[in-house]
Amino acid sequence: MNDPFKPLIGITMGDPSGIGPEVIVKALSNRTVLDQCRPVVIGDPSVIDQAIRLAKVGLHVQQVHNLDQVGIDTGVIYVFQPEGCMSDSVVPGRVEARAGHAAFVAIKTATELACNRSIEAIVTAPIHKQALNAAGHAFAGHTEILASLTGTKDYSMLLVYGQLRVVHVTTHVPLSRVAGLISTDRIIRVIELGHKGCQELGIDHPRIGVAGLNPHAGDGGLFGDEELRQIAPAIQWARDRSLDVYGPIPADTLFARAASGQFDLCVAMYHDQGHIPLKMMGFRFSKEGHHVGGVNITLGLPIIRTSVDHGTAFDIAGKGLASPESMIQAIECAITMVRNRSRHDAGGS
Amino acid sequence: MNRSIYQINQSDLPVIGITMGDPAGIGPEVIVKALNDPLIRRAARYIIFGLDEQLGYAADAAEIGPFWGRLPHEKVSRDNPYRVVVADYDEFAVPALFGGASRIGGQLSIRFCQDAIDAAMGGMIDAVVTAPISKTSWRLAGAKWPGHTELFAERTRAKRKAMMFVSGPLKLALATVHEALFEIRHKFTIGRVFEPIDLLNEALKEYFGLERPRIGVAGLNPHAGEEGQFGDEEQRIIIPAITLASQQGIQCSGPYSADTLFLRAIKGQFDGVVAMYHDQGLIPVKLLDPLGAVNVTLGLPIIRTSPGHGTAFDIAGKNMADESSMKSAIKIAIHMVQCRRTAQKVGR
Repeated sequence: MNDPFKPLIGITMGDPSGIGPEVIVKALSNRTVLDQCRPVVIGDPSVIDQAIRLAKVGLHVQQVHNLDQVGIDTGVIYVFQPEGCMSDSVVPGRVEARAGHAAFVAIKTATELACNRSIEAIVTAPIHKQALNAAGHAFAGHTEILASLTGTKDYSMLLVYGQLRVVHVTTHVPLSRVAGLISTDRIIRVIELGHKGCQELGIDHPRIGVAGLNPHAGDGGLFGDEELRQIAPAIQWARDRSLDVYGPIPADTLFARAASGQFDLCVAMYHDQGHIPLKMMGFRFSKEGHHVGGVNITLGLPIIRTSVDHGTAFDIAGKGLASPESMIQAIECAITMVRNRSRHDAGGS
Repeated sequence: MNRSIYQINQSDLPVIGITMGDPAGIGPEVIVKALNDPLIRRAARYIIFGLDEQLGYAADAAEIGPFWGRLPHEKVSRDNPYRVVVADYDEFAVPALFGGASRIGGQLSIRFCQDAIDAAMGGMIDAVVTAPISKTSWRLAGAKWPGHTELFAERTRAKRKAMMFVSGPLKLALATVHEALFEIRHKFTIGRVFEPIDLLNEALKEYFGLERPRIGVAGLNPHAGEEGQFGDEEQRIIIPAITLASQQGIQCSGPYSADTLFLRAIKGQFDGVVAMYHDQGLIPVKLLDPLGAVNVTLGLPIIRTSPGHGTAFDIAGKNMADESSMKSAIKIAIHMVQCRRTAQKVGR
């Protein structure tokens, strides 16, 4: 029964006052997810139990004390409780230091487990920044926590919505600082990370389009010269190494072209440049009847980490209304990356 | 009886002026193809400011039989007998123009615009739809205006102007346009943000039939700065501009995180949005409708729309151009004329 070849995926419970636990248990009642992996939730079992009752899924919690106990029983959610991860009876939708601390401990434990290869990947449910900070963990978000715990300096955010994949050169910085941060070295690194990320997602030879920074990609230096000085040399460097990279392309045409399938990956220079088209794509698909959940992947870490694209949604927490679509996609992405990484590692050795 | 109604309707139809743009670009082709659509032709009467011969080449290439009349440009009037007429500039005896930017292309396309503006100001036409010009041709012709917008603003003595885009359900105005991203911080003022809010509000009322438009304003920084954590322009500039607009009775709110604002507008939560910079606005515009997006100049005393594309010299004369955007520009111009008439009738 117990299939040891199915990858073990650690799912952190997120902030217990948010919709994280709810979307986890809904996702784990999805048959296709269970067929492909052995999921284990890292968090407080009582929180998961509460979420099961809220979501009315026919499952029950089975607490495990070491990861060898994680089987493939259907009808069961395996939960591993780290020391200090206690947050029973928190109120949905409220910022609480206790909840922030429990969420942090789960992430820390999951990262350690992934680093020592006890689990193959981690999938994170949303945390609340204020709760995290109230508990004395001064981080802006998951990415910063993970980078700090693993000692990673060069990382990048890859967002996936359906066929649109966007990797970011900069993210949470004021727009006025962006031009100073997009060095040729950084862009090269992000192109490399994005290329490798695509391969792990199963695209062996990704076609990569790089956005310009300025209107009309600077129009030959008329509105800014970052394209000529920083972006074009990075693209040339990548092309010299036989990567299939194009640009700089005016951002308003790049994403429209990528949406029609001309590129597998876009490189955005700043947060909104990438996030505007991504969120619009999610809507375009949902208009046609399928809701597309977005997935957030941190590239450059020594471990595989995917995440939902949404936040704790305190306004609907505890109501049973949350959609697990993004969580399902995030788990499936993690499984794909585990498979392809082991394939590449095997091929490379 | 029926006949007289028909005649009244005829004279009531909006008269749309279309400038041909650079004769060597795809302007002539998209004009001929757009007006070849019977639905477009039924909705208005048209005066094309351009070269009859160049339109003929485009029609031949597209295998479209000529459907328009020709008059020397100085003889064209509002009550000319044609549904579609070319105000022809045959005194510019030029050979067929193809192959890129040129001085004569610049001179001609400037002249078409100037005459169309004068015609609109004088009431001969109700709106101007401009086919693309080449900025290089204009420079070669010694023009002092970098593009259409500046020429239109100067000749109509408009004091304020803003660029608006219409793409599917999205109506959007820009606070800054052709600035390097790094330079925005030096140009970003309360006035620069207030002006497009005010002009968009006026336009939505006068030209799009909305009594109290709801306007959503985008932030400049990620997550609209998240209370000053990623930049302070929201606090220093955007919020004061929104407050100023609200004090003047405009129903506007923000600043909103740009990645969700456009979606919310598409879903109907806002009638119009103001984007802070070119790509922030143009990414959603082009994603929603890569071919049909339309540019509208706000703040002018006349109606001016244009397709979202350029001269596309590389495919000009090859019958490869797509006329969707020109069609949309014409339809929106007609819609704006009709809304303005209704507004004037009810005395709004």
